[in-house]
Amino acid sequence: MNKPIFQISPGFEEIMPPEYRELVANGPYGKGFGVSDLGSYKELIEEHPLCAGCGLALSIRLALASLPNPGDTVIVGSTGCSSLVFPQVALHNIHSLFGNQNAVASGLKRALKLRFPDKVKDVVVIAGDGATADIGLDMVMQSWFRRENITTIMLDNEAYANTGGQESGMSRQGAVLNMAPTGKKFPKATLPEVAQAAGCAYVAATSPAHPRMLEKAVRKAVLIAREVGPTYIQLFSPCPTNYKFKPQETIPLIKQREKEGIFRNQEYISDEAQRFLDSLEEARKK
Amino acid sequence: MYYAARVAEEKCTGCKICIISCPDSNVIAYCETKKVKIDAGRCKGCGLCVSVCPKDALTVSQD
Repeated sequence: MNKPIFQISPGFEEIMPPEYRELVANGPYGKGFGVSDLGSYKELIEEHPLCAGCGLALSIRLALASLPNPGDTVIVGSTGCSSLVFPQVALHNIHSLFGNQNAVASGLKRALKLRFPDKVKDVVVIAGDGATADIGLDMVMQSWFRRENITTIMLDNEAYANTGGQESGMSRQGAVLNMAPTGKKFPKATLPEVAQAAGCAYVAATSPAHPRMLEKAVRKAVLIAREVGPTYIQLFSPCPTNYKFKPQETIPLIKQREKEGIFRNQEYISDEAQRFLDSLEEARKK
Repeated sequence: MYYAARVAEEKCTGCKICIISCPDSNVIAYCETKKVKIDAGRCKGCGLCVSVCPKDALTVSQD
């Protein structure tokens, strides 16, 4: 969304809501802000309805703050907790059928390339674990096989949290949820390895407990997706409502999982993508 | 009336860790005095900022 599109017409300033006026005056478009600038500008999200202490909300907030070019980014969402946030986000966003997000994003990216050949337009998919790993796995994998230039960000809260807590492919083995009282019988899907094998140029698994790492991963993924090929990021975002822990324990829980070795941060960059990043770095130095 | 996070200004060092740990947007702002300020009307009182603050400058309490 470029600034001229949403600027207020002269004479209408007073009737617009104060949040909108603040966004126009102090928004992040075109300023190159990152995670460390949070708190000093008007953020893209405005009062989302997710639960207190939601790890998913924190992941979305940090991911949106680390987009390299928010003015020319289109977000494709899918059904789930994350779809409750996107109506409150000041970016172009699309909500399609459950699991269809990567197919929609593929078409969108191709159309944007034809329509704006001289402009950089990023297409970023932000969807939950159900939409990415279970229902939409077909579309997600096919978009990677076709080497579409899109970034896929999965918000992994390990359950279908929005519908009362059913087990998903990303739930841990033995996880007991409201609608899965006998515990999950098979282990968690290893999607980062699948993405790597399916042809992603950049794959990262991290969590909002490491905001700088998350920021770097999102930036690299979006930049690599512009030129090299598909990228995938998995953000571990625990759900306090369905996993029945206190809302203030979200970040301590991630750190505890890391200490126990159950969750680990990982990163994979293909050779071509690494060369592209190096060339960007050299161009910046000059 | 409502539960919200409060900051003890004398303990705050302005490290911004609470700002990047808050799941809600624009709750914690960074002031010119290099301290943080909390918008109690937007705070959901989850206490994540309290759990990450290295100086124990934050608490969740009623008005």
